[in-house]
Amino acid sequence: MSLRELLATSFVQHAFYAVTAVALAAGAVGYFVVLRRQAFAAHAIGHVGFAGAAGAVLLGLSPIFGLLVLCLGAGLLIGFAGAELDDRDAVVGVTLTAALGLGVLFISLYSGYANATYSILFGQILGVTWSDVGLVAALSMGVLLVVSLTYRPLLFVSVDAQSAASRGLSTRAMSLLFMSLLGVTTVVAIQVVGVLLVFSLLVAPAAAAEVLTSRPLRTMFLAMGFALASAWLGLFFGVWIGGPVSFWITALASLAYLAARTTDATRTRRARRVVA
Amino acid sequence: MNALTMKNGAVVLGGRTIWKDATFSLESGSITAILGPNGAGKSTLLNIILGLVPLAEGSLEVLGETPRRGNRRVGYMAQTRQADTVATMTGRDYVGLGFDGPRFGWGRDKAKREVVRQALALTGTTSFADQPLHSLSGGQRQRIALAHTTVFKPQLLLLDEPLAALDLAAQAEIVDLINLIRDTTGAAVVVVAHDLNPLAPIIDQVLWIARRQVRSGTVEEVVNEDVLSQLYGHPIEIVVTPRGRRVIVGLEEEFAHPHPHGHDHSHEGVHEHFAEVYEEETE
Repeated sequence: MSLRELLATSFVQHAFYAVTAVALAAGAVGYFVVLRRQAFAAHAIGHVGFAGAAGAVLLGLSPIFGLLVLCLGAGLLIGFAGAELDDRDAVVGVTLTAALGLGVLFISLYSGYANATYSILFGQILGVTWSDVGLVAALSMGVLLVVSLTYRPLLFVSVDAQSAASRGLSTRAMSLLFMSLLGVTTVVAIQVVGVLLVFSLLVAPAAAAEVLTSRPLRTMFLAMGFALASAWLGLFFGVWIGGPVSFWITALASLAYLAARTTDATRTRRARRVVA
Repeated sequence: MNALTMKNGAVVLGGRTIWKDATFSLESGSITAILGPNGAGKSTLLNIILGLVPLAEGSLEVLGETPRRGNRRVGYMAQTRQADTVATMTGRDYVGLGFDGPRFGWGRDKAKREVVRQALALTGTTSFADQPLHSLSGGQRQRIALAHTTVFKPQLLLLDEPLAALDLAAQAEIVDLINLIRDTTGAAVVVVAHDLNPLAPIIDQVLWIARRQVRSGTVEEVVNEDVLSQLYGHPIEIVVTPRGRRVIVGLEEEFAHPHPHGHDHSHEGVHEHFAEVYEEETE
């Protein structure tokens, strides 16, 4: 099959719509993950999701339902118990370990695990069913809608929790809201890049964007742009050259981060020379 | 007119009485310093005024109404803010959050730009308002935070340790700015402080919280060795500088209660030195 024929196949088309929606949602939520320094929570929720997916496969259900239940649950638990900054890491760490242990148990109980495990851990966007793709796109759009409606209060609580509380915002409610958004976004990102590489869409684009600009909204849109570019190019290279799409996306997102840091370093050096 | 009136207020947190029998009022356009040792309940008092913590007993009226969360006529500035370390937020962005940060939904308020511009002008922050917060100096950040807090020209302004971690020049700058904000907005200002010295020139009243009591008085009534020593549970001496400024100095235990058989000068500290100079000048 030629490249053009490959790109026209229905599974590539479905994957294209799915990664577009997922990348936009992950870029937007990723901005807040980086701003709130909650990368560890994002990491943990992905691993908790692994247990959910493995459990669902064991019960003969679609992994995405198991992912949704456990990722949302873990997000709410971390958001509720860890609203105070002091004990957040401990809460996240214990949640993560407990869930990973369960995941190991579920996998050992399931006989035909190899293939299912692989797609949960590393993503298999070209292999998901049409109905899963529809669900993923719908969830991503839902996340984007909620972020657009709650952008200002989320930003306010993230950069000055006490002042935001004095103005009537509930820190705990906003924390729960954010962690649910993160839970759903993790689920959809796992469909594309898998549990282990979820950072490539959730953290790397936002971290790259943060280096390059100093305005909040601009950073968020730039993060969405980086995520989208990595996802589209990653899908294209996966189809054209071969290799897992999740590998390409991760490689491109990491490159974007590296490039951003290099640009910033060069700029700083040049600025220093001008001053000197 | 009173901006705030507290009558027989008591606060209980987790079964423990933090303080009780608090009766005081704050006049509009006055500046009040809140003093007291760590854990005495200074921040709790601010939270009560903000409507975040209820009074266990007594009554409180804030700007003519019962305290309620999110009252735009009350401004609050926290001691530490995550925003100060964020690379992707300029001063103007942060001041803008003071205007519409709590608002959900789409759409922008056209008044925002002008209101933010005025807040920046009042606080003298326009020239660095478009730089990221993390690149500013401590004093500049405090000025931006004051702009954020005064966006709606609140009639009651609560500032939690606004001078903490600033050098002397920056402290004097912020004290002048607080005074200017009071003069232009007519707000009653409450300043939680550890050190009365930099604030002394502008304050009208002192609230001191210690030993489960809240008492109010003028600077003269509080800046008194017996009162301050009791307040901090630590010997305090007041030193008058040659120019007439009164400096509050903490004493080493030993110096406050010298040994009957003579004083040991082997660990002479700055505080002792200060006190000795003072004695020479008065004799």
